[in-house]
Amino acid sequence: MSNDPNFTGAAGPATEELIFDASEARRARRPSRIQRVGDHLRREWQLYVMLIPTILWLAVFLYKPMYGLQIAFKDYSIFRGVAASPWIGFEHFQTLFGNDQFLRALKNTIIISFYGLLFGFPMPIILALMFNEILKQSFKKTAQTIVYLPHFISSVIIAGIVITAFSPSAGIVNTFLGWIGVEPIYFLTKPEWFRPIFVGTGIWQEAGFQSIVYLAAIAGVSPTLYESAVVDGASRWQMMWKITIPSILPTIIIMLIIRIGNMLEISFEMIILLYQPATYETADVVNTFIYRQGIQGGQYDLAAAAGLFNAVVAFVLVMTANTISKRYSRTSLW
Amino acid sequence: MRNLSLTMLATTALTAAIAVPASAESHLPITEEPLELTIHMHWPRAQGYGPGGDTSKLYPVEEVAREKTNIHLIDQTSGRNTKDNNEAMNLLLATGDLPDIVGGNLIKQPVNQYGPEGAFVPLNDLVEDHAPNIKAWFDDHPEIWDAIKAYDGNVYYIPYLPDGKYARAWFVRQDWLDALGLEAPDNVEELYDVLVAFRDQDPNGNGVQDEIPFFVRDWEEVLRLLTLWDARSTGADVYHQFYVKDGRVVHPYAQEAYRDGLANIAQWYEEGLIDPEVFTRGSSARDYLLGENLGGMTHDWFASTSGYNVALEDKVEGFNFIPFLPPKSVSGVRIEENRRIPMKPDGWAISYSNDHPVETIKYFDYWFSEEGALLANFGVEGKTWDMIDGAPVYKDEVLSSGQPVNSQMYLEGAQVYRGYPQDYRYEWQWTRDSARKGIELYDTEDLLIEQFLGVAFNKEEQEVYDRYFPSIQTYMLERQQAWILGSGDIQEDWDSYIETLNKMGYEEVLEVMNSAYERQYGG
Repeated sequence: MSNDPNFTGAAGPATEELIFDASEARRARRPSRIQRVGDHLRREWQLYVMLIPTILWLAVFLYKPMYGLQIAFKDYSIFRGVAASPWIGFEHFQTLFGNDQFLRALKNTIIISFYGLLFGFPMPIILALMFNEILKQSFKKTAQTIVYLPHFISSVIIAGIVITAFSPSAGIVNTFLGWIGVEPIYFLTKPEWFRPIFVGTGIWQEAGFQSIVYLAAIAGVSPTLYESAVVDGASRWQMMWKITIPSILPTIIIMLIIRIGNMLEISFEMIILLYQPATYETADVVNTFIYRQGIQGGQYDLAAAAGLFNAVVAFVLVMTANTISKRYSRTSLW
Repeated sequence: MRNLSLTMLATTALTAAIAVPASAESHLPITEEPLELTIHMHWPRAQGYGPGGDTSKLYPVEEVAREKTNIHLIDQTSGRNTKDNNEAMNLLLATGDLPDIVGGNLIKQPVNQYGPEGAFVPLNDLVEDHAPNIKAWFDDHPEIWDAIKAYDGNVYYIPYLPDGKYARAWFVRQDWLDALGLEAPDNVEELYDVLVAFRDQDPNGNGVQDEIPFFVRDWEEVLRLLTLWDARSTGADVYHQFYVKDGRVVHPYAQEAYRDGLANIAQWYEEGLIDPEVFTRGSSARDYLLGENLGGMTHDWFASTSGYNVALEDKVEGFNFIPFLPPKSVSGVRIEENRRIPMKPDGWAISYSNDHPVETIKYFDYWFSEEGALLANFGVEGKTWDMIDGAPVYKDEVLSSGQPVNSQMYLEGAQVYRGYPQDYRYEWQWTRDSARKGIELYDTEDLLIEQFLGVAFNKEEQEVYDRYFPSIQTYMLERQQAWILGSGDIQEDWDSYIETLNKMGYEEVLEVMNSAYERQYGG
């Protein structure tokens, strides 16, 4: 794991510099802080120039919008604007947590995300490993294209396919069930079926595309490792377990941390297309709740409060995952 | 010409001075020198004030209006790259830089919310003093004037006022009825018998029991069946709305009649009389079920549903899908719950930054004059229509162009969502014969009921409503679908259902609804 210079290397020089600074301070007069920063900038200015576009992007698209987050604590009127709307403290949060449907949505969000992680995260890795074992190039290319395809289809179409596939009269699923003598089930109105259908659809749609990252990581594994393993008489199965997986483990962990950070951002447009009042019980998530309550009802301040809460939870999750990973695998995002 | 307009102006000035409302024509042109006013006009057919949203061109109607009134509308529409008018309106309001006129789709809510905050000009006095045609129209329809008021009692926009009565109707496969020797059902028992016959007696004659007796495109249309047990599904032209019962605003889903009505719907659903896939079939239900010769009865729009008789003439032998009168309810009442709403939340308003409110209201008034209304409805005289025996008649090339007449009008600049009174003669001319027959049939009885045109909440009322109602509605719909689908029995669950509604704040919502209602309609 420490063979990946991107992650472990970053911490190295900083530590060395500190040690260097400390010993130097003891030895002679210490250069002022400003001087040191100036020297550093002069020496490394090209790096900082290269950083500017990213900083601008962050500032414009991520930091500036944060200004608007304050409406979560305000009685917001579009016409009065963000600054002129009066402060009301945590009232919107109290409204949210006093609402059973919000709590239910929160519960559903966590459950659906967890299922998504549990079943959805390993799939692209398994796919990538399977692709890696295919020897015939033409077959590999075709298979890859087929599994990538759903990623490029709009959610509306996917929802249409799902609704048709699970239709009690004409759907392929009920047709199969009919062959083994099961009565048709009206899946999309049954709360107990919503989560499996939703999570399954998500995997079908995205697993192929997500496997690209792992394929790239596998491609980066040094062939010499396999060559020496072959000389040692290792089987393909052993090579996968002893070489491929350990080599791409840092990638897997980074992807996992990122994934945990995005965990609460369920593709809610898909839920809106698939859910019904009859399935709200298991299908209504924070984002769809915000959509119904906030956006459709014009309560932007309340929607902002719910969104902010979502973001805070996601932040805590990603921090936790990062810390755990740092401690046990010494791979981390920062 | 110049002399003439000067005389007109003098007359206008004179009548204004002695404060007697003049007839509309004497106002024209409204200004001596051309006056440019900027406009936001965002509506489904065009995002921008120009043919199809192309603001580099002028509507033919706008050219004539400029000539007549000397007011030149200059496009300044926000959010032209989005079709979502809510988003466009928010963008416009958030910039704070409002054009002189703000118009388009669904402006009532924002205008009535931000008008009292100072974003829009109250129109009451302006209409009273400078808009004789608008005033005359609302003098005839005081309830609509009440309905467009904001919570401070002022009116902030001039609405688009649709004409025509009917929207959706009951349709049945007459050829199926004939094949089984049945009559169109006249009451709820006969309706049940017909649906059972459709289910069991193979009216499409393919030897398989694959018929779907009653189907709908939007699942909420199933709820229209509630009216057969004297309950209601909604009070307005959108689903799940409050209605006025004995002078008090209530929600239909908290009434006793609803319990019995829904229990029957659940029964019919279980018996297979209602499309088992009604909740997911969606907008293609009608195409599919009629095209495959499977659907027997529906509740849907007059005009478009009649169209299937032509579209499926060759595909389904003997296809004859015609409107029938709403069946009488259990208590013998015959109503058609769905109708066109007489006032839309669309139209136009004057913003605070407009330096010419008087000229603007006079301009708004022009579209309520006879001449202006003809222009707004039919387009330019001599180009798309002629006056024949005192009635506007479309030219043949418009009626037989193969393009729907409304689409043609949208490009002319007619039927745009400006504030104007629509004229049903426009639509009647291109309504199909089968639909016309249906409308005439519906006209034989007094089927329509009053619509609840909504209330404008003040800030406190709005807060109460926002706090409670969205969750209540979610709960109502969850229970409703569950009961129809057979998980739970409404008769058994009813008491706990009402108890939960009350716990969720239903009474508080009713209270603010009714206080707003009384303020607005002087109840």
